[in-house]
Amino acid sequence: MSTRNKFFSFAALGGLCTTVALVATGCGAGGAPAASGDASNAVTVLVEAGGKAELTKVAETCKAETGVDATFVELPYEGLFNRLSSEFSSGSVSFDVAALDSVWLPNFKDAVQPIDELFTDEAKKDIFPALVKEAQVDGHFIGMPAWTNAEIILFRKDLFEDAKNKADFEAKYGYALAAPTTWKQYQEVSEFFTKDGMFGTDVKGAVETEWMAHVLQAGSPMVLDADNNVIIDNAAHKEALDFYVSLVNSAPTGAAQVDWAAAQNLFNQGKTAMTRFWAHAYRQIPEDSPVFGKVGTAPMIGGSAGVAGVPGPWYLSVPKASKNAENAKKFIKCAYDHNDLGLESSLGLAARISAFEKYQDKPGYESFEPLIATLNADATATRPSTEKWQQIVDTVLVPTLQKAVAGGDTTALLAEAKTKVQALIK
Amino acid sequence: MSSLETSKSDLKQQTPEYRPGHSGVAASASVGASTGRIPVPRLPRRKGRNREGLEAGKRSTRTLLWIVLAAALVIYGFPFVYLVLTSFKTPIDTIAVPPTILPSEWTLENYTSALGRSGVLASMINSVQTAIVSTLLSLVLAVPAAYGITRYKTPSGQVFIMAALVTRMVPPVAIGIPLASMMSAVGLADTPIALAIAHTTISLPLSIWLMASFFEAVPRDLEEAATVDGCSRLGALWRVVIPVVSGGIAVTAIFAFLASWNEFLFALLMTAVRSQTTPVVIANFQTQFGLDWGSMTALAAVFSIPVILLTLLLQRHIVAGMTLGAVKG
Repeated sequence: MSTRNKFFSFAALGGLCTTVALVATGCGAGGAPAASGDASNAVTVLVEAGGKAELTKVAETCKAETGVDATFVELPYEGLFNRLSSEFSSGSVSFDVAALDSVWLPNFKDAVQPIDELFTDEAKKDIFPALVKEAQVDGHFIGMPAWTNAEIILFRKDLFEDAKNKADFEAKYGYALAAPTTWKQYQEVSEFFTKDGMFGTDVKGAVETEWMAHVLQAGSPMVLDADNNVIIDNAAHKEALDFYVSLVNSAPTGAAQVDWAAAQNLFNQGKTAMTRFWAHAYRQIPEDSPVFGKVGTAPMIGGSAGVAGVPGPWYLSVPKASKNAENAKKFIKCAYDHNDLGLESSLGLAARISAFEKYQDKPGYESFEPLIATLNADATATRPSTEKWQQIVDTVLVPTLQKAVAGGDTTALLAEAKTKVQALIK
Repeated sequence: MSSLETSKSDLKQQTPEYRPGHSGVAASASVGASTGRIPVPRLPRRKGRNREGLEAGKRSTRTLLWIVLAAALVIYGFPFVYLVLTSFKTPIDTIAVPPTILPSEWTLENYTSALGRSGVLASMINSVQTAIVSTLLSLVLAVPAAYGITRYKTPSGQVFIMAALVTRMVPPVAIGIPLASMMSAVGLADTPIALAIAHTTISLPLSIWLMASFFEAVPRDLEEAATVDGCSRLGALWRVVIPVVSGGIAVTAIFAFLASWNEFLFALLMTAVRSQTTPVVIANFQTQFGLDWGSMTALAAVFSIPVILLTLLLQRHIVAGMTLGAVKG
């Protein structure tokens, strides 16, 4: 065989292999493709991992009622933001509905459609006030809350009901041992339980939300005022930060590195008597945990402005680039109508007040009453509506908090933080 | 990587040993060409010096080397051992403070939970499909490219091989987004072939460099002998050179396979329902509201098995590839 013939033989073999590979991999093993507007009744819903479990029952009901067939694409939290950013910036999207974290709304406000028609007067009454406010950007509602969360107090009921603890506490502090409602009580209860290898509470230096909740409790907006002036060095921020730092002696060492996961682990392991934590954690205590069945719940503590929390809602939005907007809106409307179905999922959260109220008296849902109280509190507010918020958190708030819990001068730290935030938002 | 780089530098240093006219190696090499192996001249063994590798040298040196090796094994192996042990722990055991190494109670619950989760099996199939196609594409493109560059030392070839390396200097995220848009534009959105092509952009440059260094180590006399015996240029490549560098091809294939198997960023940006690969599914066990350590470690352990098996199966070829050309005459 000549060289030319061999060359053509090799080329033909290579071409054949490539063709087979292309055909074999033209379709993946995961089923139907995800693409916006593929079928008349199909919608693709992009959610954070865990969101599918939350919305699966809703989707089943929606399919039966409206014929809209939802397919979920789950991505990890950080990855979801990257994916949304890349698809929105390209102008071509592979989904019809996206679940957006509340802090992303300002970033993506120009890429999603208004859904004002879904926010009827009746709907607005049944959604927590802070969420109604946050869902509205530049005069239009751009996201329907799918589920929300807020920090409440989780405490060791068994320790609080122990007769010796009750007597000792009352003898030392002069009032009955109970779930704390004020900063002072929280400090004293934390101090009381810090003994025998146990700690009264945790101090989370690696996340900022809790400090921000205390800022609201002290009567100030978080970081920026209504006119976008930086107010991070005002008296309320300092008061809240000083209170936060005051708990370090009643918490495990290494506070600067403690984040949500670490704090949850410490509580579930029985190392802390109390924690300020997202309400969903109550239903996620493992059955083999030493504290399982021994945990009580209470609303978030209050400062001079009363009880306040920072809600953590997720919103369902429709991209402007979706070719299936009508079905997407049908799905969102249906998800709102059947919002309570999400409460039986592993995450067990909803966004409608009526949905939480429907379950609050059922066994296993004891965290809902304090959650409703915290979300309905007058001082409760969502994070400032700025595209730079995540940057402010990562580069200013968390480093400031970490330095403060490590013993830094809070006045100087807040002054430095003000300069940095001003530089970021100018 | 370091071992690969070492072998590459070794190969370059060894190449002159095979040039025509040097000792009897070239002649014996041409004889060995028909068997597809480079014959290794047998050297007479000297008394007391017949140990190899870690057995060679003074006792104190050997002890030191063994200690270093053991330390490296612990440092590199411990995270994986801990991952596997965690996958057998109960939920509360996985988050123990302070952490424990051995499970207090052994359970397979995490494996049941992880493998029973919807989409996991499909993601494993997608990972296999994508990695195999990406590896094939890398080899099909890298082998002829590297052969051409090393055998026809043209200026354009040298520019090409440098340019191939430069592509590795661009952060993947910078090309991930345009690549995803391009695949979508040609109707390949959310398909394993699109992801395999993207993965090939990662592995191809280094595959070309690796193969080029392996081809460099093969004496030209082998091909000349084959052409004298009647082979065409392509015939000599196919029948003589390729068998000689089969160890190098195995190393390159492993490298390309691993690059695709473990890749996360492109998979995150370019896949959705039907072509999502396992690294993305593993990451999905971490949500904003919690981290399912048990299931995550169980799936990660299962996901490691094919790679471990593949490495064991190709172990002989890999070692041969690493030492290709490292024989002095």
